Amino acid sequence: MSDTTAEKISIPASREDLARLDFFEDLKDRYLSVEGLEARWHPIDRDGCAPDRETCLRLHHFISLTRAVEETLDSAFRAGEVPGTAFFGRGNEAASVASADLLREDEWLVPMHRNCGAHLAKGHPAASIMAQYFGRDGGPARGREGNFHMGYRPKKIAQLISHIGTMVPIAAGVAWAEKARGEGRAVLNFIGDGGTSSGDFHEGLNFAAVHRLPLVVIIDNNQYAYKTLPKEQFACESLVLKAPGYGVPGFLIDGTDALLVRKICGEALDRARAGGGPTLIESVTLRSVGHSVYDKYTDYVDMDHFKKWSEKRDPVKRFDAFLIERGIATEDDLGESHARARQEAEAARKEALKSPFPDPGLIEDDVYAP
Amino acid sequence: MSQPTYREAISEALWEELERDENVFLLGEDIGLGGGAFYVTKGFQERFGPDRIVDTPLSEAGFSGAAIGAALAGMRPVVEFQFADFVTEAFKMIVDFAAGNHYRQMGPVPVVFRLPAAAIASAGPFHSQNPEPWFFSTPGLKIVAPTTAYDAKGMLKAAIRDDNPVLFLEYKKLYNYPLGDLPEALRPPVPTEDYTVPFGEAKILREGEDISLITFGTTVLQALEAADILAREGTECEVIDLRTILPFDKEAIIESAEKTGKLLFLHEARKRGGIAAEFASIVAEEAFEFLDAPIRRVGAIDTPVPLSPPLEKAYLPDTEKVTAALRELAAY
Repeated sequence: MSDTTAEKISIPASREDLARLDFFEDLKDRYLSVEGLEARWHPIDRDGCAPDRETCLRLHHFISLTRAVEETLDSAFRAGEVPGTAFFGRGNEAASVASADLLREDEWLVPMHRNCGAHLAKGHPAASIMAQYFGRDGGPARGREGNFHMGYRPKKIAQLISHIGTMVPIAAGVAWAEKARGEGRAVLNFIGDGGTSSGDFHEGLNFAAVHRLPLVVIIDNNQYAYKTLPKEQFACESLVLKAPGYGVPGFLIDGTDALLVRKICGEALDRARAGGGPTLIESVTLRSVGHSVYDKYTDYVDMDHFKKWSEKRDPVKRFDAFLIERGIATEDDLGESHARARQEAEAARKEALKSPFPDPGLIEDDVYAP
Repeated sequence: MSQPTYREAISEALWEELERDENVFLLGEDIGLGGGAFYVTKGFQERFGPDRIVDTPLSEAGFSGAAIGAALAGMRPVVEFQFADFVTEAFKMIVDFAAGNHYRQMGPVPVVFRLPAAAIASAGPFHSQNPEPWFFSTPGLKIVAPTTAYDAKGMLKAAIRDDNPVLFLEYKKLYNYPLGDLPEALRPPVPTEDYTVPFGEAKILREGEDISLITFGTTVLQALEAADILAREGTECEVIDLRTILPFDKEAIIESAEKTGKLLFLHEARKRGGIAAEFASIVAEEAFEFLDAPIRRVGAIDTPVPLSPPLEKAYLPDTEKVTAALRELAAY
């Protein structure tokens, strides 16, 4: 395995690819150094990335729906419909959707709080997500939790707790159960750049690596852990460099590119299903909103970087452009598609608001399993 | 019927549950090749293999989290901590994740955390603690504290079959306690056939009319000794072993209060914030009219657990301290 690992993380990218992506230039001020990163950039065979038309349109639908659901939730929050707070994943829709879309019905997703796209792609209905946000009985936690602290049992989505990092060991344990059953199922887990500094990240990934568990961990490096930059979070050049330390393959990818995520994550999941053990993927995105709806991110975000990144790498616009370029859809088609997604999100909001609030008389129910 | 030691009873329970249900597996540090710090799983890996008797990296939070994840996915893991003290490493996994998961509608978490607890001679501040006060206010957890081989075996089986996370306190001092030295009340024979012990049922170890001495864990030994001493002085104590802490047998406490009118709660954990405070409050709120004397509590003093023998002796409750408190109550 070590040979493969070394190979996977050290093949230099083609200069052409890098120039087109302009990736490291844009990240220069975020990392301690980008020189080492360039050498570790995974080369992408663009043609190998393009799936069939139907898959492209499905991914487009969920990416668009994710954006629409989050925007609808944001307006619901401003309208006073959301008790507590709200977290959004704006900027990571492509990675969220394209990875979770690869999971089979009977495979577990262990997401974090910015993976609305992964929930939707795994089959969690938008109205259920919104009912959770609205504190209603119809949400998956029936009002006992809120916002994206939710799972969805019918689709094998685990619920995170707020202690960042905890979900890596939890996901490793789910993967343990899958390995024990030996039915070739993999587990997909997300963590953020900040979460990689936690001890749990280390303990969970190490456990998975030692036991060669079928686990794929995607670090959604969205360049901010609340208000902290990557260079204040870790001193190595890239989080992907942690992978060889655990003896697992690691990949550094542009997480705003849905098809690239699909390719790398798909290979990782297949490797896991076949008994090849865990994979670590650093998927770089930009959190294009505040940490939560209460966070005035414009106070601390480098707005030039923000603007430049969003122009080039907004995942929704980027996937639109790809579909048009490949002749898979026209601008009009996509306009209609986005409008449908907004309608779907709005309908989900209305449906969720019809769900009653939970009955305080039942507050003591379900503390213990029967 | 047989008469295994406390340690043998725990081993038997684990072995039989592993045989009974293929979803049961054990994980922890050094439990496979080495048989565990206290040799509870000696010989297990030869029989069940490394996939069911899992040696983990040194990472209490990591392997506790992994056990919880496996439980979410339908397994029934039993986690061994080398010492109960190290459970603080995994606090968030147990308290924040496992205990609340069912309430958050995310399904049962059938996982057992075995915690070798309490003082043995001069083990110091990090190998002597009683963890139950740290967890007692956490809804969704069960905490059990067997003191006999019979209870240890039956409760461990019940814990493994329970769909909730269970902290299984096991007492290091009792692993090797010579059977012949145990009082009769702590030596009930152990059935050879399968059995479980239900949670939430206290046991009266000694009947008495004058004072209720309510305890759990290793202080049961001191309670029985002190009751003998008081009996020679003409005071009959009712000694109650609570056996499980969450849930606890409130009715047994209140019934005994009604019977004797005088209560002493005893535990090895520190008095301040110890769970006797909760029991005493319940009696004060719900059974005040039965009381003939102020409720008394005996526990360790409010310091870290010191190591040097004279300090440790001063720290821990012992028969002498219990006897003194009982005499005061008797005289009240």
